[in-house]
This record gives sequence, C-alpha cells and structure tokens, in this order.
Amino acid sequence: MKQPLIMERTYRATLDEVWNLWTTADGIESWWGPEGFRVKVRTIDLRAGGALLYEMIAVGEQQIAFMQSAGMPLSTLTTIRYREVHAKTRLAYTTTADFIPGVAPYDVTTLVELHQESNGIRMVLTHDRMHDDIWSQRATMGWESQLQKLNKVFT
Amino acid sequence: MCIYTIMHSYVFEVLADPSRRKIVETLRAGECAVNDVVARVAIQQSGVSRHLRILMEAGFVQMRPAGTQRLYSLRAEPFRELDTWVALYRNLWETRLDRFGAALERSQQVNRPSQPSRPSQPSRPARPRKKKAA
Repeated sequence: MKQPLIMERTYRATLDEVWNLWTTADGIESWWGPEGFRVKVRTIDLRAGGALLYEMIAVGEQQIAFMQSAGMPLSTLTTIRYREVHAKTRLAYTTTADFIPGVAPYDVTTLVELHQESNGIRMVLTHDRMHDDIWSQRATMGWESQLQKLNKVFT
Repeated sequence: MCIYTIMHSYVFEVLADPSRRKIVETLRAGECAVNDVVARVAIQQSGVSRHLRILMEAGFVQMRPAGTQRLYSLRAEPFRELDTWVALYRNLWETRLDRFGAALERSQQVNRPSQPSRPSQPSRPARPRKKKAA
C-alpha cells in the first residue's frame, strides 16, 4: 500500500545543520508542528525503535479559540517512533496523522534522506502511508509523478 | 467521513500491485480489449482478467461491450480523489518545509554569525604571482 508523496528541497547548509534540525530538541522545537502550535520536546531516544515525545501547544489566536470551542486541551502529548537512524544520512519515523479534518487517524512513515550536493544539502522526504509489515517491501518510488501523468489524461 | 477514509486505503492497496499499475499505465493510452492489454503487459490472460475485475470493483476501470468484445477504459474519479488527498498532505508539508528553511537560516545566524551568506571566501586569498618575463 503506497502513499504517493515525495518532496525534495535543497538548502545551502551543512549536513550537521540539517540533521540537527531533525534530531535535537532545539532543532525540532524551531520548526516542527502545525501552523499556530508550538512544540516542546519532552524526551528523544534517537535510535531505531526509540521514540520522540513532545508536547504540542496551541499558541495562535485562531488555534486557541478552536481548541477551546472544541473542548480540547491547549496542549497535547504526541509520540513519533523512529524506525531507521543513520546519522546525517537517513532518518525514518512513523507518526499518526490525526490532524486532517474529516479523515480518521492513520499511520504515516516519513523517510528523510540527506544528500551532500555541490550546491548544498538535498533533502528528500518520502511519505508512505502503509502498514508496518510491508515497510520492508518499500520499492516503487516516483508514485506521485505517475499520478500526475494519470491526472493529465483526465484534464 | 469514515467511508471516505476506508475508500482511500483500499484505493492504495489496489494500486500497490505492480501488475495492476502496468494495466493502468496501458489503459492511459485509451480504451482496450483484453487481448490488447495482454499483449502490452506480458501477463497471462487469466491474470489480466482478474486484475481488471479488481480494478473495476475499485472503480478505477470501466467496461463496455462492443459487439463480441469488451472494451476497458480508466475512470477519472478515483484518480481525482487520490490527487485531492495528495494535495492536502503536500500543502501541510510545504508549509512545514518553509518553516524548516526559515529555522535553518536562524540557526546559521546564531551559530556562525560572521559567515557571509554567499559562498565563503578563502581566508587568505592567494596572491596573484607575477610572471617573470621569459
């Protein structure tokens, strides 16, 4: 079962700088989390099988108002589970996507690959919506471009 | 809304099969009879028929009889639905990656404030050597 989303960006930075943003408390807190939320890292156990535990706190006016009107706490604890950790090269983790309105929660595995290029660090994110047992069978990439080709047929 | 989600995961399962993706690719060219599909994907007819049935049940493919033949073609709806889902997820991540880039710049300013943003100059520029006249 493939979830067809691959994203790629290149940053003018060092491998250390990019890796730290993914794997340190300060780094994660500086960008993680949805719009209007602040993230506070509780614990990081950075190894395959380990977990990241963080608090997600509504800070945006709209988000606070929404959480209050929905009778939800402003702060929630969230866990992601690490699957692969290869320093400065490859990081894979599973998270439960529960933030899409109208869609029931489901697990997504995100793979982050870092490549040193002449113009900076190329970061490739692959989001796989799949069951644990077929994670190892991850094979065909480029799903999204296939999908785009298909969509062109219908437009 | 649950139905929507269940349909999605089924959609992914159906398309996860490489043979079925081959068949879908083949049908992109237009309506085909089973024999044409068999010829193009190099899968036995019984297999092709089975995959076509699964694709039809999932709504990816439709069939119409034409004389003695049955012609198969793609239906747009499930592909549009997939596209909507991907677009939603992509938007969430585009926003996050913008923040990632901004955070990266901030961390660089903190950690190496003297570093120029353009490619760094060599600290001791090499002096051009004067060539002696031969």
